Amino acid sequence: MLKNYLKVAFRNLWRNKIFSSINIIGLATGICCFILIALYVTDELSYDRFNVNAENIYRVDADINFGGNALKLAVSSDPMGATLKKDYPQVQEYTRIYASEGSKLIKKGNEYIDEDKIAYADSTLFNVFTLPALEGDTKTALNEPNTIVISETAAKKYFGTIHATGKTLEVEMKPYKVTAVIKDIPHNSHFHFDFLLSMKNVAYGFGNFLSHNFHTYILLKPGTDYKVFEKNFDQVIEKYIFPQAKQFMQIASMDEFRSAGNKLEYHLMPLLDIHLHSARWPELDTNSNIQYVYIFSAVALFILLIACINFMNLSTARSASRAKEVGIRKVLGTERKNLIRQFLTESTVMAVISLFIAVMAAWLVLPLFNNISAKSLSLGSILNGPVMLLLIALPVFVGLVAGSYPAFFLSGFKPIVVLKGKINTGFKKSSLRSALVVFQFFTSIVLIIGTVVIYKQLNYIQTTNLGFNRDQVLIINAAGALNNENSDAFKNEVLKMPGIISGTISSYLPVASSRTDNTYSKDAVMDAKNALSMQTWVVDYDYIKTMGMQIVKGRNFSKDFGTDSSGIILNEAAVKVLGYVDPIGKKIYSSFQDGSNNPLSLKTYTIVGVVKDFHYESLRQNIYPLSLRLGHNSGNVSFKVSTKNLQELVKIVEAKWKIIAPGMPFSYRFMDEAFDNIYRAEGRIGKVAVIFSMLAILIACLGLFGLVTYMTEQRTKEIGVRKVLGASVPNLVVMLSKDFLKLVFIAAVIAFPVAWWAMRSWLQDFAYRISIEWWFFLLAATIALVIALATVCFKAIKAAMANPVQSLRTE
Amino acid sequence: MIKITELEKIYRTEEVETVALNKLSFEVRDGEFVAVMGPSGCGKSTLLNILGLLDDPDAGSFLFNGIEVAHFNERKRADLRKHNIGFVFQSFNLIDELTVFENVELPLIYTGVKSAERKKRVEAVLDKVQIMHRRNHYPQQLSGGQQQRVAVARAVVNNPKLILADEPTGNLDSSNGNEVMQMLTDLNEQGTTIIMVTHSEHDSRYSHRIIRMLDGQTVTENILV
Ligand SMILES: Nc1ncnc2c1ncn2[C@@H]1O[C@H](COP(=O)(O)OP(=O)(O)OP(=O)(O)O)[C@@H](O)[C@H]1O
Ligand SMILES: [Mg+2]
Repeated sequence: MLKNYLKVAFRNLWRNKIFSSINIIGLATGICCFILIALYVTDELSYDRFNVNAENIYRVDADINFGGNALKLAVSSDPMGATLKKDYPQVQEYTRIYASEGSKLIKKGNEYIDEDKIAYADSTLFNVFTLPALEGDTKTALNEPNTIVISETAAKKYFGTIHATGKTLEVEMKPYKVTAVIKDIPHNSHFHFDFLLSMKNVAYGFGNFLSHNFHTYILLKPGTDYKVFEKNFDQVIEKYIFPQAKQFMQIASMDEFRSAGNKLEYHLMPLLDIHLHSARWPELDTNSNIQYVYIFSAVALFILLIACINFMNLSTARSASRAKEVGIRKVLGTERKNLIRQFLTESTVMAVISLFIAVMAAWLVLPLFNNISAKSLSLGSILNGPVMLLLIALPVFVGLVAGSYPAFFLSGFKPIVVLKGKINTGFKKSSLRSALVVFQFFTSIVLIIGTVVIYKQLNYIQTTNLGFNRDQVLIINAAGALNNENSDAFKNEVLKMPGIISGTISSYLPVASSRTDNTYSKDAVMDAKNALSMQTWVVDYDYIKTMGMQIVKGRNFSKDFGTDSSGIILNEAAVKVLGYVDPIGKKIYSSFQDGSNNPLSLKTYTIVGVVKDFHYESLRQNIYPLSLRLGHNSGNVSFKVSTKNLQELVKIVEAKWKIIAPGMPFSYRFMDEAFDNIYRAEGRIGKVAVIFSMLAILIACLGLFGLVTYMTEQRTKEIGVRKVLGASVPNLVVMLSKDFLKLVFIAAVIAFPVAWWAMRSWLQDFAYRISIEWWFFLLAATIALVIALATVCFKAIKAAMANPVQSLRTE
Repeated sequence: MIKITELEKIYRTEEVETVALNKLSFEVRDGEFVAVMGPSGCGKSTLLNILGLLDDPDAGSFLFNGIEVAHFNERKRADLRKHNIGFVFQSFNLIDELTVFENVELPLIYTGVKSAERKKRVEAVLDKVQIMHRRNHYPQQLSGGQQQRVAVARAVVNNPKLILADEPTGNLDSSNGNEVMQMLTDLNEQGTTIIMVTHSEHDSRYSHRIIRMLDGQTVTENILV
């Protein structure tokens, strides 16, 4: 019997090819989007869960408000972890990662490769995180200095085999012994390192509680409430931190420190929250944002909902036109239950076909999707989850619901009523249908506004005035390999080449590079009130010029002033915090720490100039106080160039490098690319959001098209009658469009505040953001209107142009 | 008022060619009441559609009030139609979503009559067909006879010079049918020209003249008065 139903069902689908394909494609697109987004979201939610102890691992974060600087740090001081373990039995283990030095050059054969997935770590890293070894014993691997643990990928890259233990790797000209090879860190980890060096190799003033440079993780004993544990930090501050702070600052107590408007707080960030909830500084990898998970989930549900509604609408709409068939079948003696089964079979078959197409399509576009989203998702990961269950249940459910209207409604009518066509009005006037159309437009409008805002914001980030000029700046990395004279010689030689405008030696750049924080005060004696903590960048005379920064007051460092080694240039943010109207010539004092534990006497600087604020962190953050000091810091040599052929220029520069620093590794990057790196992740997510919004809008249009078609068909006779009575084509088009326009209007009224609220909270995360403008709304409403009008007009004009005699004959 | 000469209408489908009107000629003068009769499929409805400017002929001439309209375009035909012609159909063709009042009001809207004037005229004509008390009802709530009275009201509300009726009593019982025929006769007496297709010899007797058709041609014309 079922076979017979199926046979008839397939025949019916085939007979109405256009309708069937619109319906199937619509639902399939919806399910396909849903699958892709489900994969994406599932992946986002899976971060760091591979760690066996994931639930009990916490990162120690610091919130520091000090001297006008508000820091939300993902790092804490180096003794913090050990102190917590020593003093509190709840702490089972701690580990530290030191990644402040950035990328390093590793020698492979005769070449040097700039590796950025590199950091120093304690051997306890492997007790806290689940990073299984392929070779060697990770328990002790990093205990000795000059040891290194590498990933499978790194082992293959440098040794051509995973059997690398015992071999030597040269990092920054220094030999390290490979003591273990670990499996590659899973992609869904909040950090990715291929090289882990022994913490013993870090040149650092250990024991300093005031300097925050270590990503510190603690493993709490199971059952420990981390919120309760956090209360212990007050004790830690009193016992360890305050005594050290007192050494270089005139403060009597932590309360005094706080009452001066300062803040020092430590928090525990649960490991599982890091990827989606942590936007601190510095993160070990670009994190995502829970908002995107919300946005994507909402979009996925919207898309699925729209697609299902469309499917039901279209099926129902078409079944109404089959009323006559039902009537005749009943007159001929078909039983009601057979009709019900037939209709249900048809719609379910259609839904199941959609599911298959959707899965196929998802499988086909997944590589592309992975490419855009920079993920490595595979369909396999949802095959056994609840998502899979939903995927199977959903089409069946949608099919059954969509089939139930014709099944139960039509088949229940007396054949004669159905034959007279009197029940058509049921769906035509229904407020349910209006509600569905409103919902579709509502969704489309919200999505359009969202798309515009996201697009604009990402565009703004790309084009906003950063306060420096990132175009045509060539950065030579690792110039630290040169000594002072050589780096000067190199700079001067390169400056002689055509196409080079200026050059500067400094490892502090407004893209990813070195950072140093120092504490200053307005007065010769530093206390809690006058302290100002700010970035301190060591630069040379040509820095401002090469970076395209702008002096707004005073002057740049100059060789004409012999005293500039005690001069300082501040950014506008720093001047504002200091409260100086006329800062030039004023003195500020710095506790210049040399990395040792000794409190140093304050050093005096004279403000010689003010540089216009420039962005040196993500645009999600405010610009904080920053100072430039004159000195020789040869981490990088940067050149402002003017040439069409950058690659050619790089070759010439490299040749010069080889002469001045024979055997020294040469590596470079361009500042604009380095800048784009900061926003690549963001840009990617934006792109994905835009694509899905477009798809959602497309599906909504498809549904709208179906509905309009159906509704116009329902009104064929009416249109004929009206034409006979003298209605013109424009009359009729207006009449048919009016209803839809009303619905678009209602949808817009609901959508505007929702979109405004949603996008405002998204933008809130950016310190530098566009404002939501009224024309975004107008644009969205207009697009929705145009879509509606185009569809309606297309159908309406066709119906209105038809010979009324024909429509009247259809009676 | 109407003069057609050698009018032709041919329907072409994939294989078959149907000659619905075959060189048909006749004339209808102002104020006449003409019945068109003939077996099913002989072309009566086709003829009425052309006379009503709903459809155009394939060949021949059609003079309406002395103007050649056979090759008028859609817009011109619509214009002429809405000011001069009223229709009554066998299946009433009322719009289900509109009330009795709104149905009758439609032709006035399309000819641009002002709202107050419309109300007056619709009420007057509803009064005349004795359906005023049901003005706010929907078509489904009326009997067949009442629906046809509404349809007649709608056809005459614009004071057309010509009324075309295609089997106006086809769906009605004899008493309702007679009522409608009486209404048409009254209208005719007030000067409206009427052309009515019918299968009923009884109804045809209300007319002045019967045109009998066969296979798209006129066979005889009986003058009754
Ligand atoms: N749209 C059309 N396409 C093809 N043939 C048509 C079309 N309309 C009418 N015909 C054919 O033209 C001929 C005349 O049809 P018409 O409707 O005018 O007949 P009629 O005299 O009104 O018949 P009845 O008394 O049954 O209403 C018929 O043979 C019919 O099949
Ligand atoms: Mg007919």
